[in-house]
Amino acid sequence: MNPSIIDILIRPDAFFRDLVNKKEDLKVPFLIVLAGSIVAAAYGYLIGGLTAKMMGLAMPGLETFITLSSVLGALIGTFIFWIIWAGVIYALTFAFKGEGPFKRVLEVVGFGYLPQVLGSLITLAAAFIYIPRIAVPTITNAGIQDPVVLEQTIKAFMHDPAMMELTQVSSLISIVFLLWSANIWIFGIKHIRKLSPRDAALCVGIPVLAYILYMIYNLGVM
Amino acid sequence: MRFCRSFTVFLTVILLSTMAGTASADLTQSMAPITGKVFVTDVTFDPGVFFSGDEGTVTYTVMNGNANTSVMMNHGNFYDADIRLLSDTYDFSNTLGPLQSRAFTFSIKTDATEGDYYPTFSLSFYDSNLYHKSLLQVDNTPLEITVVDLPDAFTKGKKKTVYMQVANPRKNDVRNVVLEIAGEGITATPARTFIGDLAPGAKVPVNITITPEKETTALLTLNYDNGNNPHKKTMELPVLFGVDKKQANPVMSNVQVKTEAGVYHVTGDVNNAGLETANTVMVTALAPAVPQDPYKIYVVGALKPDDFGSFEVTFTAGPGNTSIPLELSYKDTDGNIYTAVQDVKISSSGASASQADSSFPTMLPVAAAIIIVLLFVGGWAYYLKRNKK
Repeated sequence: MNPSIIDILIRPDAFFRDLVNKKEDLKVPFLIVLAGSIVAAAYGYLIGGLTAKMMGLAMPGLETFITLSSVLGALIGTFIFWIIWAGVIYALTFAFKGEGPFKRVLEVVGFGYLPQVLGSLITLAAAFIYIPRIAVPTITNAGIQDPVVLEQTIKAFMHDPAMMELTQVSSLISIVFLLWSANIWIFGIKHIRKLSPRDAALCVGIPVLAYILYMIYNLGVM
Repeated sequence: MRFCRSFTVFLTVILLSTMAGTASADLTQSMAPITGKVFVTDVTFDPGVFFSGDEGTVTYTVMNGNANTSVMMNHGNFYDADIRLLSDTYDFSNTLGPLQSRAFTFSIKTDATEGDYYPTFSLSFYDSNLYHKSLLQVDNTPLEITVVDLPDAFTKGKKKTVYMQVANPRKNDVRNVVLEIAGEGITATPARTFIGDLAPGAKVPVNITITPEKETTALLTLNYDNGNNPHKKTMELPVLFGVDKKQANPVMSNVQVKTEAGVYHVTGDVNNAGLETANTVMVTALAPAVPQDPYKIYVVGALKPDDFGSFEVTFTAGPGNTSIPLELSYKDTDGNIYTAVQDVKISSSGASASQADSSFPTMLPVAAAIIIVLLFVGGWAYYLKRNKK
């Protein structure tokens, strides 16, 4: 019986045990990451729209530039993060004498992105609920040239109650689904890099927990 | 021949003596009833009543009451122990024809204190004198300034009307009455009021508006002329700030706070608890609140005494703000703007109201995240431990 996509989510150990015997193929992982980047771009479009609304009066054309930057940033950023995660985990596995090519690690991390695609969809749904409730302060051309005014306006935007709630909700969702991804990556790295479960857990757990702690810190200082 | 010449001289002397005796008899016997009919018909003092130290004039009108006889006048004089004569006496001879009048005017100065004086006018005729005494009054009573109505209190920058009255308690007319008002930090309109002549016992209302910028004392100066003598009366008017008991007094009540999509909606009523109309009543939120559409500023409009109107303002406020100042402003009839600030409690916890209303206090997501991470780490630790065995 061939493992399905569902197996990645609920039986990652079995999925990767089977995958290790197959030839490297980045097509499916790429599509998963692409799906994730499209959802992230949609989310970026919504949030970028708010920022563009805030800055729109300051300079003609700035609104379009901000929206496009947000969309493109989310699209490309997801792929960059894919490579960064794979690179960091790959580097850490050397400490435990891991074996196998980087492309395999990239494949595992790509498969492990699947829960985050689901998480991004939930975050996008939350954004549709919260964004209409966000009161966006606007800044004028004179205001954008005054760093104090600019800082206060951005602060007012970020501290908008609805915006804060959205940030908190999306952060919690990201943490939950990133841990789910980490769970998948641990089993994948165990098989791909021929490590013990403990070593694989450390290789994945250290960067993931560090990143999550950074997210929790940001939540605390909001 | 010698006798004849002597007789002629004698006769001439006799004749001349006779002629001289006839002429003397005409003047001495017939003049007495004539000069008795020369009298003072009118005495005029200007001013009518003097202040001590005033200069003025007195005019005596002398009339020859004889129907067909002229009289010879040769010396007119005025004298009194307390009233000083400034001009010369009338030292010349002049004839006053039958039924004719002539005025004798003297410049005088009153150095005397208050009281009644009787200076004498004398006029010499050829063989007799005319004496006339008349009453001259010296009275130092000045004009009166009376404040009829004064505002309960002055307010900085607010125009208030002071109702006054200028009265003449003297027995004579005064001229060129002018009321001036001055003071540091006040604007008075009019600063100078010309009243003109004021008859004895007359009173004139004068209204002056005062706009003070600070507490001060306004100096009222009443200038007037008694004859040609300038006089003045001054009065100080304290301009003190205080609560105008009649002024409009808009008060906020029934204030309710709601949040919607992170925007605070504060609704309430504004009642005018004063006795004057509050115009252009407006309500808005002050910093740290950031007013938001649709009701950044709510214009309630004019509120008459005991009238009320509703308002609604919308704003956002950062976390940590438990109360927000609401500014209530209105204008009086002169356009002066008055403001009052009232704090409105928007949250009891210090977090934003939206957070207080929702189930997401600031630390809750952090705690939830930590629990999730601990569960994940614990789960894996348990898995590894079990797998090791």
